[in-house]
Amino acid sequence: MRRALRSWLVGSAILLLGPLSSRAQDPLEYTVKAAYLTKFVPFINWPEQQLAAGAPITICIVGEDPFGLSLDKAAAAAGAGGRPLVIRRIATTDTAETQILARCQIAYAGDPLTSLDVIDALKGKPVVTVTDSGMRARGVISFVMQDNHVRFDIDDAAAEKSGIHFSSKLLELARAVNRRSENP
Amino acid sequence: MRRRVGWPMIVALLAAAFLLTAGIAIARYEDQLYSTQQIRDVTEQAQILAASVSAAVSFGDRAAAEEYVNALKVNPELRAAGVYDGSGKLFARFFRGSTLPAAMALSSTNWDALTSEGTLTVKVPVSAGGKTIGAVSVIATTEPAQRRLARYIGLILLVTMGALVIAVLGFSQAAISNRAEQLAQVNARLKQEMDERQKTEEALRQSHKMEAIGQLSGGIAHDFNNLIMIAKGSLGLLRKRLGPEILQPRAEQYLVSADEALDRAAALTRRILAFSRRQPLSAQAVHLGGVIADMNALIKHSVGEGVKIETVLAARWQTLCDVSQMENVILNLAINARDAMPDGGVLTIETRDVSLASAPPSVAEFVPGDYVALSVRDTGVGMSEEVLQRAFDPFFTTKPLGKGTGLGLSMTFGYVRQSNGYLAISSVPNKGTAITIYMPRIPESDT
Repeated sequence: MRRALRSWLVGSAILLLGPLSSRAQDPLEYTVKAAYLTKFVPFINWPEQQLAAGAPITICIVGEDPFGLSLDKAAAAAGAGGRPLVIRRIATTDTAETQILARCQIAYAGDPLTSLDVIDALKGKPVVTVTDSGMRARGVISFVMQDNHVRFDIDDAAAEKSGIHFSSKLLELARAVNRRSENP
Repeated sequence: MRRRVGWPMIVALLAAAFLLTAGIAIARYEDQLYSTQQIRDVTEQAQILAASVSAAVSFGDRAAAEEYVNALKVNPELRAAGVYDGSGKLFARFFRGSTLPAAMALSSTNWDALTSEGTLTVKVPVSAGGKTIGAVSVIATTEPAQRRLARYIGLILLVTMGALVIAVLGFSQAAISNRAEQLAQVNARLKQEMDERQKTEEALRQSHKMEAIGQLSGGIAHDFNNLIMIAKGSLGLLRKRLGPEILQPRAEQYLVSADEALDRAAALTRRILAFSRRQPLSAQAVHLGGVIADMNALIKHSVGEGVKIETVLAARWQTLCDVSQMENVILNLAINARDAMPDGGVLTIETRDVSLASAPPSVAEFVPGDYVALSVRDTGVGMSEEVLQRAFDPFFTTKPLGKGTGLGLSMTFGYVRQSNGYLAISSVPNKGTAITIYMPRIPESDT
């Protein structure tokens, strides 16, 4: 069912987003999402004790990786304010790997089960969890599809608990924002 | 009359020119300030837009970018604003009058402000995470030259009025001071003329007085002289007729006394005649220096031990005069000088050649020309103004009764005038007196 939806979405994306990408061999929707994952970085502020100055920004892909090479290409193209961008791929959410997971700055989980685990494991930790569209489980950022365009929602309240700050510019682009409390 | 440009005029012109220059400089400076200010303002707006749209460009959110771009519409100065994405394509924009190019090569774009024909184009990069991900271009209207000029027209008018006022004030000031200067000059000239006229009148009156006295006294002296000659002749005849045997020694004494008295009377009339210029003169060409040198011993003897005599004989020209009369004159003057210096002093006798173009002081009816000047100066008591006025009057004397006849200077005056010369006198009380005789020069060939 999800596969069918995805291929439908990809088809629509090819039709509508065609001009955005020249790499026809990649599934367009995930190329866009991969680009988004790297482009979030300049608009997110992590707490300083978690991220030393000059330390690399690590984007972790937990479980199935739908991006492939396009994510590495996007990471190479994107800027992170002088920090290197590192992509890590983690197979499962075992106890041992949760330690690694906690050191990521952005953690993407593509399938529903892994998503729930990742969200649970990183609740209150300064890691931006990103979940894919079409799932009930929602991370701090969750991709949504709107009119065949990739958009995203932001749970700023959850980010507040983790000590993460989103740039207002990014919040403005989000389709929906779960606002943080008025008096932080 | 020559029109003069006075210093107030120059100052006014300089001030006006300075004011105008300063006004223009201020206007230019203001204008420059305005353009740099506008460039700064527009660049700031472009930078704000670039910062605002960085996320929108990053995520390709055209609607959000357009929202930001349209927010700039409220500024009426802006004619167009556009956002370019990472590939240099126009991504969001608004147009009003100007158009934006559809694409921009980000790698080769010049990020400077560009002014041309009433528009100002500012391009700034859009960056995220330290990378240039797009660009923003804003086009603003620059104020046209006429409008800018109109803004300064008030200032220019004010400055021009100021300059005009200063120039007019300067002109009138120059005219007034010019006029005042002219008036002062005319006044000074008038005063000088009046002074000269008064002096001339004084001298003329003096000379007329001398003339009148001379004529009167001369006439009397002439007749007197004839009468004295008759008396003298009669006395001689009487002496011859009586013979020595009849004339007893006692009676002889009366005849001698009468004869002596008649001689003294004859001498007096001669002197009066000299003053009235009626004496017979036997003039010859002489060097006055020679005359003075010859009578050196006589002068020394006359003035006595207490007076030091200095002679400066610098004259080279000859003059025509009666030598014996001239000797009389010099002796007279020397004795006058001695009498003015009872406690001793210096008597200076000096001759020199002078070419006179105008009359010496206190001389009227003067003929310009070459003269030999003879000065007799003393360091004596000098004369007061009143005495000086009457110095040449016959029978006027300041000497004690019986010491002087009061005919010395008047005789000198008469003699000099009869010789076509002039007499000048100057005196300062307690400093001394100088009397100068100007005798006309005669050419050397006449000798």
